[in-house]
Amino acid sequence: MYAAELVGVTKRFGPVLANDGIDLAVARGEVHAVVGENGAGKSTLMSILYGLHRPDAGEVRRDGNRIVLRSPTDAIRHGLGMVHQRFRLFPGLTVAENIVIGAEPVRRGRLDRAAANEAVAALSERYGLRADPSALVGGLPVGVRQRVEILRALYRHAEVLILDEPTAVLTPGETDRLFEVLRTVAATGVSILLVTHKLSEVLAVGDRVTVLRQGRVTGRFTASETDADELVNAMIGRSLTPPAPRRARVPEGEPLLEVRDLTVRDADGVARLSGISFAVRPGEIVGLAGVAGSGQRELVDSVTGLRGAVPGVFLAGTPVLAGRDPRVAYVPEDRHGRATAPGMSVAENVLMGAQRDLASRGGLPRAKVRARARDLVDRFSISAASVDVPIGALSGGNAQKAVLARELTRSSQVVVAEEPTQGVDVGVRERVHDLLRTARDEGAAILLQSSELSELRDLADRILVLYEGRVVAEFPGDATETELGRAMVGATG
Amino acid sequence: MSAPAVARRVVASAPVVALAGALLLTTLVMVVVGVDPTLAYPALVRGALFDGNLEYTIAAFVPTLGMALAFALPLRAGEFNLGGDGQLALGGVTAAAVALLAPLPPGVAVVLPLVLGAVAGGVVAVVAAPLSTRLGIPAIVSTLLISAPAVSLASYLVRFPLAEPNTGIAQTPPLPEAAHLPALGGSGYLTIGLPLVAVLTALWLYADGRTVLGYEIRATGQNREFARYGGVRVGRVAALALAGGGAFAGLAGALIVLGPPHRFVDGALTAPGYTFTAVAAVLLAGARPVVVPLTVALLTFLQVGGQGMEREAGVPSQLTQIVQGLIIVIVAVLATLRARRAR
Ligand SMILES: Nc1ncnc2c1ncn2[C@@H]1O[C@H](COP(=O)(O)OP(=O)(O)OP(=O)(O)O)[C@@H](O)[C@H]1O
Ligand SMILES: [Mg+2]
Repeated sequence: MYAAELVGVTKRFGPVLANDGIDLAVARGEVHAVVGENGAGKSTLMSILYGLHRPDAGEVRRDGNRIVLRSPTDAIRHGLGMVHQRFRLFPGLTVAENIVIGAEPVRRGRLDRAAANEAVAALSERYGLRADPSALVGGLPVGVRQRVEILRALYRHAEVLILDEPTAVLTPGETDRLFEVLRTVAATGVSILLVTHKLSEVLAVGDRVTVLRQGRVTGRFTASETDADELVNAMIGRSLTPPAPRRARVPEGEPLLEVRDLTVRDADGVARLSGISFAVRPGEIVGLAGVAGSGQRELVDSVTGLRGAVPGVFLAGTPVLAGRDPRVAYVPEDRHGRATAPGMSVAENVLMGAQRDLASRGGLPRAKVRARARDLVDRFSISAASVDVPIGALSGGNAQKAVLARELTRSSQVVVAEEPTQGVDVGVRERVHDLLRTARDEGAAILLQSSELSELRDLADRILVLYEGRVVAEFPGDATETELGRAMVGATG
Repeated sequence: MSAPAVARRVVASAPVVALAGALLLTTLVMVVVGVDPTLAYPALVRGALFDGNLEYTIAAFVPTLGMALAFALPLRAGEFNLGGDGQLALGGVTAAAVALLAPLPPGVAVVLPLVLGAVAGGVVAVVAAPLSTRLGIPAIVSTLLISAPAVSLASYLVRFPLAEPNTGIAQTPPLPEAAHLPALGGSGYLTIGLPLVAVLTALWLYADGRTVLGYEIRATGQNREFARYGGVRVGRVAALALAGGGAFAGLAGALIVLGPPHRFVDGALTAPGYTFTAVAAVLLAGARPVVVPLTVALLTFLQVGGQGMEREAGVPSQLTQIVQGLIIVIVAVLATLRARRAR
């Protein structure tokens, strides 16, 4: 008997057939990976299992019994838990409050804060998921927020845990720790459904793998008996071309981006960045590594002008402009919070930043806006029903492609990219890397922040390691993951 | 989409459902309190459209539409302007003061009070912007809080410095002939206020959908961090939207004062509840600005017709306020339901 089963599930969104008769079964204590291209229907399927969408046809079973899920509340009652691609946390509440919400310990009719904090501390201790119960969620880095989401599901005794791209935002260390957690949790009999684009993870942590393509199952594998090539083939119908061998290049010319002795303090006067100096020259990709919350946010916000005209940041020799310096293209990691307005159309999302260039005397002709968007959608093969649908209705990877399309087509000489391939499938990842390399070859100066060390190693000419607001080490692009990993946790020498 | 599908969509759309639901409940209330709906509704229609009442309905439509823009424009930037009454009253009193104190050549005598009334309304509204960016007080709170003293200030001005001498009535003297809004019909209720507000509405709709400023306002309203990231000066855009909204309110006040009875009567601007009707109309229109003039027309029709109903069928005109209240509640419920059903 299976812990959870989806039988013949079909789901349409208007003309889009997101799921087309999908069968998927998860055994007790199994880690089941679900992979597939962007828009293949993975999130839709998981949302159906969690009661967020209702299937047009097919059914959901728990322990062999058919269940009808009208809402996530129903799903939770049936022992299903989910960590979303977009977090669903209340930024104004504390970690503990977010975790216990809906099942709060109550004392004399009020939230028993002490009991909540204690329960959460015990829970995070048990699974090795560190999080300060009394911290406000709004101020936490993405990696920690995700831990809160996982803890929330575990707090409610989930027996089937659904994780939609949980590692897209984690550093390698955090990912390893997450996998340990998942194995520990699975060993207690909890079934885990893991959606991911990273095939190494599938092979490392999965027991079985289901591959989706255009809403259908195109492959079922046992992780120990398959390899990345076979999976890629089932996913995109072809193999990947191996990356071009690294060329030894010595970038020259005046730096396009220069940071000199940059110190940034937060509202409480605590230094978030201390004495940072580095330069990025034309034709160079500088990688930025570090565990979440090491000062990446502050550095990127300083470099892009979003923190105002901070002293010590120079673009092509002149100080950075406050607001958003138009000389910088910037791909933010927070896709729904910063990189897009989910309720606005694809066309209006890819317009941002170019609206004044497209305008004639303040007027913004719709035809022009849409034509430009259609061009970007074609060039970056974004799959969207039309450029008029809200960008929030696109699959995660396609929304990311739209962000990349917008930023990489700005005529900016400096590119700042945070997690540029988060949530994109292996085929698109290849293309994004090509695009960044092309931009570099055309003379752009690129600052690349990624939690994926293999991505940094593939692309960067040099890698800076941030730790507690300082650059603690600089490596050549071919540094080993061990070297980088040690520097990232502050181990010197 | 096929024609039946379009029809189905319209019938199931929030405004239609809300209105139908509200009318149904109102009918129920009528039956319960012993009013014959078959008498009441014809009275309502007559009260709004026939027996020479149409002109009066249009006269009420103009300020209500102005107030709807006053709420809708800042709302596009994510700011709730609930201070319409204060902006309306100060706009009106400013227009009256200008018309009374400065003898102006014809033409200018109408235009200048209108412009300065709009400016006054804009100034009252824009105060909310720094309060929100500097002190973190949301506009929904600050506009509302500023509104009451603004109404009182207008009231003070009309009672003392601008009061008509020797009457003891809280109103200004009649405005000079040159400051009267040119009339379009015989009775004087139908003025150039109607085409003026219609043109401004069209301009707003155009700006909202097809200009850089409109785009930046909408982006700010949809996701402020996204707009900021994109280089939009969100603080300025939000302030501008609030000022624009306030200007519409101020203009509405000026239009009322320069129309019949051509003076500022204390309380006459705020008593009819234009602001509340306008908020209801905008909420009823949902996120579709093009629909705003229609919903305003509809609610004005109910409002004015309600008074006819009161005269003829003895139904308290408060009933139409109940209809408006119900509409807001139903719209809110529908929005929640739709968010749930969208899956
Ligand atoms: N709420 C929605 N409204 C309309 N279309 C939707 C909606 N949700 C998903 N879709 C469409 O359904 C298809 C499948 O989307 P889904 O999010 O399940 O893909 P995915 O496999 O999770 O992709 P990704 O790897 O990019 O996250 C896509 O074409 C998407 O545009
Ligand atoms: Mg997805």
